[in-house]
Amino acid sequence: MLLDIIQTSEGGGFIIIKDTVDCCGRQLLKGFINAALKREEAVHVLGFEVCEDEFRAGLDSRYTKGLCFHDGYTDPLGWTGCLPFTMHQFTALEINAHLNQSEPVKTVTLVIDSLSWMLQHYSPVVVCQRLQELRRGGALRSILVLLHSDLHQQGIVGSLCHLATAVILVSPGMSGQYTVAKTTRRTKSGKVTHEEECFNISEDLVVSIEAQSSSCNTVAESEDYEADPAANLTFNLRLSEVEREAKENLSLPFVFSQEKKSALLRPRPGAGRILYEPDANDDFDQEDPDDDLDV
Amino acid sequence: MESPSINTSKCVAEQKGRLACSTSFQKKSRSKLVSIPGTRPSVQNGQLIVSTGVTSLDYVIGGGLAVGTLLLIEEDEYDSYSRMLLKYFLAEGVVCGHNLFIASAKDHPDEILKELPAPILDDIASPRGGEEGQAKLYDSDSQDSMKIAWRYQNLPKVQTTLASSSRFGHYYDVSKTMDSEMRLDTKHKGFFLPDELSSNSATEPSQLNEGYRALLRSIQGVIHSEGFDGSISQNKSRNILRLGLHGLGSALWGDDICCKENFNGISSLTTFLYGLRALLRSSLSVGMVTVPSHLIQNREIMDRVVKLCDTAIALESFTGLERETNPLYKDYHGLLHVKQIPHLNCLVCEVPDTKDLAFKLKRKQFTIERLHLPPDLSDTVSRLSKPDLAESAKLLNIGCGSTATGKKHLDF
Repeated sequence: MLLDIIQTSEGGGFIIIKDTVDCCGRQLLKGFINAALKREEAVHVLGFEVCEDEFRAGLDSRYTKGLCFHDGYTDPLGWTGCLPFTMHQFTALEINAHLNQSEPVKTVTLVIDSLSWMLQHYSPVVVCQRLQELRRGGALRSILVLLHSDLHQQGIVGSLCHLATAVILVSPGMSGQYTVAKTTRRTKSGKVTHEEECFNISEDLVVSIEAQSSSCNTVAESEDYEADPAANLTFNLRLSEVEREAKENLSLPFVFSQEKKSALLRPRPGAGRILYEPDANDDFDQEDPDDDLDV
Repeated sequence: MESPSINTSKCVAEQKGRLACSTSFQKKSRSKLVSIPGTRPSVQNGQLIVSTGVTSLDYVIGGGLAVGTLLLIEEDEYDSYSRMLLKYFLAEGVVCGHNLFIASAKDHPDEILKELPAPILDDIASPRGGEEGQAKLYDSDSQDSMKIAWRYQNLPKVQTTLASSSRFGHYYDVSKTMDSEMRLDTKHKGFFLPDELSSNSATEPSQLNEGYRALLRSIQGVIHSEGFDGSISQNKSRNILRLGLHGLGSALWGDDICCKENFNGISSLTTFLYGLRALLRSSLSVGMVTVPSHLIQNREIMDRVVKLCDTAIALESFTGLERETNPLYKDYHGLLHVKQIPHLNCLVCEVPDTKDLAFKLKRKQFTIERLHLPPDLSDTVSRLSKPDLAESAKLLNIGCGSTATGKKHLDF
């Protein structure tokens, strides 16, 4: 499913890559960017955590003209005055202006590296609202965000993930050479899918899936294992056609067959109907059943 | 008083009548309010109720939603089933011709409106259903229909689906969306937070945050202008206003209760709910609110929110949990907890007969059922043997009979 998300080109996506101190998610983020650049899409990066050179390192130089790095790393708060990009410009209006100044309309992927930095300066409510606004704005094809989930309260991370269409949690694998990604994706119809995969990122930032996680495998295996218990038996459990007919013809003791029922219900000549005409002497008072008692 | 002598023919006629409709008993009612389509008086307390759109949910909460009350739905983690309930609620409004008010901060109300499920109208659906059923019957007849002793033939089947005896509300097909003509016929008003906020920028200091204040104003406006508060003249036909408010309390509404753990006693959401309740109580409207309670860190706030709503149910879906693969739950998609049922005009509320409820989404329908164990067919089923029973009975006696004298059996 991870590859699926990387390759997918449906609009309106909001993907969060959650990492912790144990395992950095920036490589995966770059893998995403690399794939998007190869599809010749425009990628705009709001970079706050690493400088431009470091960020560009490893990306395929043939395709990097689609990449536009908005530098928020050197001067995030605009103290020096020569502002490439600052925190204060994180509004839908400003960002859209930045996106438009570079190129005519093309499908644009916005990458934020990282949202944790943003959350230091803005309240989570504002961040959520602006992200949603950007998503609905229509200028962007998708938003890709890195979030260091162990830096924030659970509620904040939860609120952000609540907005996302896909959440990828990266954690170190058992053997060390792979990274485990727990992916949760929800479609627009409300269907939610989970998957756990081991992946590897090569030198040139191509993500490859090494194995489905062990837990997935065991589930699949147990399903396959369910064999037919009636396969090798020393006695016969199945009925042949003749045998079934014989079985059906047998009349069981306490079963009302249709014939039996109709035979019982048919009025016979001897049996009479009860005709009763109530007369004046009949006392039918339901109110007082003890009416006829002499008390 | 009836005359003591009853004609036999009269008896027969009466019995025939009884066969035709399920009961000849008719409730005496002053049909004054009942003239609104899609409503009926409650069996318990005579309150005017409307359907939630899910028949089994109506049953669980005691017949339906009383007009003037608020239903709280605590969202499941991914908001897929709660959203579905909201859509059912709105679709029921469309089918009954009620007015709608839809508020959301995430998706535009028009988008929600477009996704409403299509109603299953009886005359369309029944022949197809019948065919399927017949085919199945035929199959099973030839193969392995069970022959049962006559005593047991007519026993009612154990019913897991919850439904009241009389029909109220409609059924919907989730796989299709409602006709656009049908949607256009209903009066509806959407409230999309980003649009509303940009239009009115005047801010006054208040305990309510901006989004909730705008929402409350908007609801108040609709209730007054459309005359749901009784201001309209009597002779004009009355109608019900259905309010569907999606995702209240989430960060998108500008509410910080999801992000904050400490709580200083005042929260915008509770203040808003007080206002909303006051509006609902004095008007012909009924509301449904969904709240992402799993995100709200402070339980105290959530408890207050539950108390401020009249009926409260919580959805707990199995998606992504181990329970998804648990054999006990394999037929279901999640659990439904009834947290609160209102006490309206009476001291006790309608208590559901079982608290173990589960919901499932079939191919077309969302239903709530009693959660019960599947029959255990393995050989190793341990049955209590007679001595065991005697033992446990003894234990019971010791437990209950501590005050009873001697070793006599307790006689109930």
